[in-house]
Amino acid sequence: MSESTDPTVRHSSTAGQPAAAQPLLELRDLDTDIALRRGTVHALDGVNLEVMPGETLGVVGESGSGKTMTALSIMGLLPPGGRVSGGQILFEGRDLRSLPADEVRRIRGVRMGMVFQDPLTSLNPTMRIGVQVAEPLRVHERVGRAEARERAIEILRRVGMPRPDRIVDNYPHELSGGMRQRVAIAMALVCSPRLLIADEPTTALDVTTQRQILELIDDLREEFGMAVILVTHDLGVIAGRADRVAVMYAGRVVETAATEQLFRSPRHRYTEALMEALPESAIRESGEHSRLYSIPGLPPDLSRPMAGCRFAPRCRHVTDECRTTDVALSIGEHRHACLHPVPAAPATLPPRVRVEPAPEPADSTAGADQPAATPVLSVQALVKNYAAHGRGLLRRSAGQVSAVAGVSFEVGPGETFGLVGESGCGKSTVGRLAVGLERPTAGQILLDGTDIASLTGRERRRMHRQVQLMFQDSYAAMNPRMRVDAILAEPLEIQKVGDGAARRARIATLLDQVGLSRRVLERYPHEFSGGQLQRIGLARSLALQPRLIVGDEPVSALDVSIQAQVLNLMRDLQRELGLAYVFISHDLSVVDYMADRIGVMYLGKLVEVGPARDVVRAARHPYTQALIDAVPSITPNAATARDGVTIRGELPSALNPPTGCRFRTRCPLAQEICATEPPLAGNGHQVACHFPLRPESSKASARAGAAA
Amino acid sequence: MVRYLITRLGQALIVVVLVTVIAFLILHLLPGGAARATLGKEATLEQLAAFNHEMGYDRPWIQQYGMYVQRLLHGDLGYSYQLNQSVVEAISQRLPKTMVLSLLSTLLAIVLAIPLGVIQAVRRNRWPDYTITSLSLLAYATPIFFMGLMMIILFSQIWPILPPEAPQGFTVAEVLADPAGLVLPTVTLAIVTIAVYSRYVRSAMVDNLNENYVRTARSKGLSERRVVLRHTLRNGLFPVITLLGMYLPALFSGALVVESLFNFPGMGQLFWQAALKRDFPILLGVTVIISIATVVGALIADLLYAAVDPRVRLRGSAS
Repeated sequence: MSESTDPTVRHSSTAGQPAAAQPLLELRDLDTDIALRRGTVHALDGVNLEVMPGETLGVVGESGSGKTMTALSIMGLLPPGGRVSGGQILFEGRDLRSLPADEVRRIRGVRMGMVFQDPLTSLNPTMRIGVQVAEPLRVHERVGRAEARERAIEILRRVGMPRPDRIVDNYPHELSGGMRQRVAIAMALVCSPRLLIADEPTTALDVTTQRQILELIDDLREEFGMAVILVTHDLGVIAGRADRVAVMYAGRVVETAATEQLFRSPRHRYTEALMEALPESAIRESGEHSRLYSIPGLPPDLSRPMAGCRFAPRCRHVTDECRTTDVALSIGEHRHACLHPVPAAPATLPPRVRVEPAPEPADSTAGADQPAATPVLSVQALVKNYAAHGRGLLRRSAGQVSAVAGVSFEVGPGETFGLVGESGCGKSTVGRLAVGLERPTAGQILLDGTDIASLTGRERRRMHRQVQLMFQDSYAAMNPRMRVDAILAEPLEIQKVGDGAARRARIATLLDQVGLSRRVLERYPHEFSGGQLQRIGLARSLALQPRLIVGDEPVSALDVSIQAQVLNLMRDLQRELGLAYVFISHDLSVVDYMADRIGVMYLGKLVEVGPARDVVRAARHPYTQALIDAVPSITPNAATARDGVTIRGELPSALNPPTGCRFRTRCPLAQEICATEPPLAGNGHQVACHFPLRPESSKASARAGAAA
Repeated sequence: MVRYLITRLGQALIVVVLVTVIAFLILHLLPGGAARATLGKEATLEQLAAFNHEMGYDRPWIQQYGMYVQRLLHGDLGYSYQLNQSVVEAISQRLPKTMVLSLLSTLLAIVLAIPLGVIQAVRRNRWPDYTITSLSLLAYATPIFFMGLMMIILFSQIWPILPPEAPQGFTVAEVLADPAGLVLPTVTLAIVTIAVYSRYVRSAMVDNLNENYVRTARSKGLSERRVVLRHTLRNGLFPVITLLGMYLPALFSGALVVESLFNFPGMGQLFWQAALKRDFPILLGVTVIISIATVVGALIADLLYAAVDPRVRLRGSAS
């Protein structure tokens, strides 16, 4: 667009970098369009980026920001209808757009490599690992079959694959997600490329696996001397790994700087707002939780023409000028495209955390203050086993999967209990058991002190009004052919609450509570964005005036700015309605922000339970510590400052869980006694470990003592 | 894998037994009976009774069924008085000829349908796709007797290059000795099959080309040709295996319409004539053969699946 004439945009390597270093990759005014049936989406609009040899460039942005489109444009892998419509892609000095297709394909295969987000689907299911990994060698270097196999084994070994000589002959479905991502990395590196593009390489993985993969990419970058473009939505991932960062918004680069510089002193108002929307920014050292800053509104529709700064409609500092003036990136090391940038912070200041004051500072302790009240939910020695069948037509019983193995906890009125753990730990099963979607194999579930197993069908149904479930994917959890009014009325109809008029009034109240206008009632689920769907889902959960809502990863599918909106809403409703939450998530920073108390699950067991602050800042179980260490943080150097516990290896199967402490097979502290089961011990801050990392803090036990 | 096989065979056997029971009940308990059909309108009641007694048709039907199964296990499907030959003999004369026709047309269909489907998927929503789609819908919607008639009119009347009648030879060798006569029935039979198969291949290929693993393959700098042939085609052919399994019974039953139209002495014609004449032993025999073929077809498709898809293979051996 218009920037192409702006001299500041044509800024090249001479200004910032040493003159000797020529960029490995340079994008100049890159425009990418995607033709859809409803019109053309201008996915990229004048993107300028540079990647120097051997450096890691982090590209960060929310969905629709164009970060993935940038990666796909470079690789020439745009989806159907997509094409680069303007600008240059200079790789090693040559414009990929002007080279013949065969040449570009060769460059793509040999000089570049790409790793995609979803390791479960990005490998060919019917091709052996070795064949897939070695394919670029066979095609581009005409290597023979036997040699290709040898080199596949070699590269698999270098990406840390155990027993690579056996893995080469396996098929993808025989490997775990983390292992498949290693295979994908091996495949991208087999021709020793100069540039590796990793598009959300760890988003589909658990945090402990994420850490292993990110470290692997770091190590390999040095070993191969290649440059890396790390594309992610996760600011924390970028903060720990990238040399420089480019922040994208609505198809443009809005800010780019050295990583440390950017996180210490973001200049663009969007970057600033994005960081404030992170839950970890809102948790003070004192443990107080302030309100998250949530960016209002939604990103713009890229199929419409736009003038001015694209963030202007959502910006706190917008002026009339912002809406009309196209801003180009400024010159220098730290470039930004903002008319009213955040004042640059002096280099000595600590990481800036600017938060709005909490409306009611006392709310986070509401649960802990009333321990005498009957818990809304109390689960005792909960056990859930699933019969495992041999898959296929035979369905032969093959033992039992121990999904939940003796979990006990209580949730007080108005309290938020966070349940954290990696995939397969049983946290979602606990949630489904608590709301009565499934029956436990053993153990008790008490709602308001009443054992629901003792109730008859009708009473149980009435009782379950008090507990409602909120889903991760609200779209999948709604009937696509029902309008929102029908979706919201359904729980009332099923439970025979009120007449038509009363139900309509109730629905109107619900919409007010979740901040949606009445107009949504006549629309269908597919017409809404993810954040709006979560609001509708929350409204549906609230319809029957429950006392407890079990949220199963309720914000995990949302962008940071939208996530902040939903989290704030959940906290506001909790305060207004006295709701209790069981907040299930794999994301420790979100749970830390939301929960009063946290339970950490590993392979069907609670390994640690305690006040959120104590669990996160003074973890007692080695697994909890490993989980905390694996969470990427935007605080610079946080990773190195930690006295980390690193776990290796893969999660054992729940079909034959380890005896005793289930974590002992991966625990760095494990000894013989760990083969016996450790009890969950402690007063306020309980841990199930024979060798807890630290004694219970005096504060936690004192608090528990006062409670008793 | 062995356990899997045994279980699948067990299931198949149950189905076959059920089919024989149903076929037996339908055919033997209908009014009119075999005696009248065999002996004709002139036969007296005594003659009918005598016939029924001789054949065992006056006994309780459970007993009759027992006798039938016993004979079946000895490879005796009964005796057709209409044709004056045993059912096994009648079928063994027709079956090989039918299989020649069916196999030829299936082969032709596969050889043409797979490339057509692949071309459609690769050139999706462009003119090759639109053209082939229109033609296959047309072929699919045309009644097969009409299609056959048009073929005869076009290629043996207007432009007389092929005979309108199928080879009348008594053995397979004699049938094969007249390849020109086989062309029209084979092609007629193949056209509809091509239409169906190419649609399946197209949609499976379209699905697979949108898969992430294809993008990964492209990121390796592979040529489009290699992406399609090495990566996508194998996964895109899975539905064809199922189709082939379902098609196996047709291999045995023959194509009733086409066989009648081209006067081809195959299983379809046999069944058709037997139905007209209430030739129960033949009807029952053909039904049993076809039902076994159906069950075996499904079994073969499952096993083929296990052979080409490692994910299925693992499941099988794990159990």
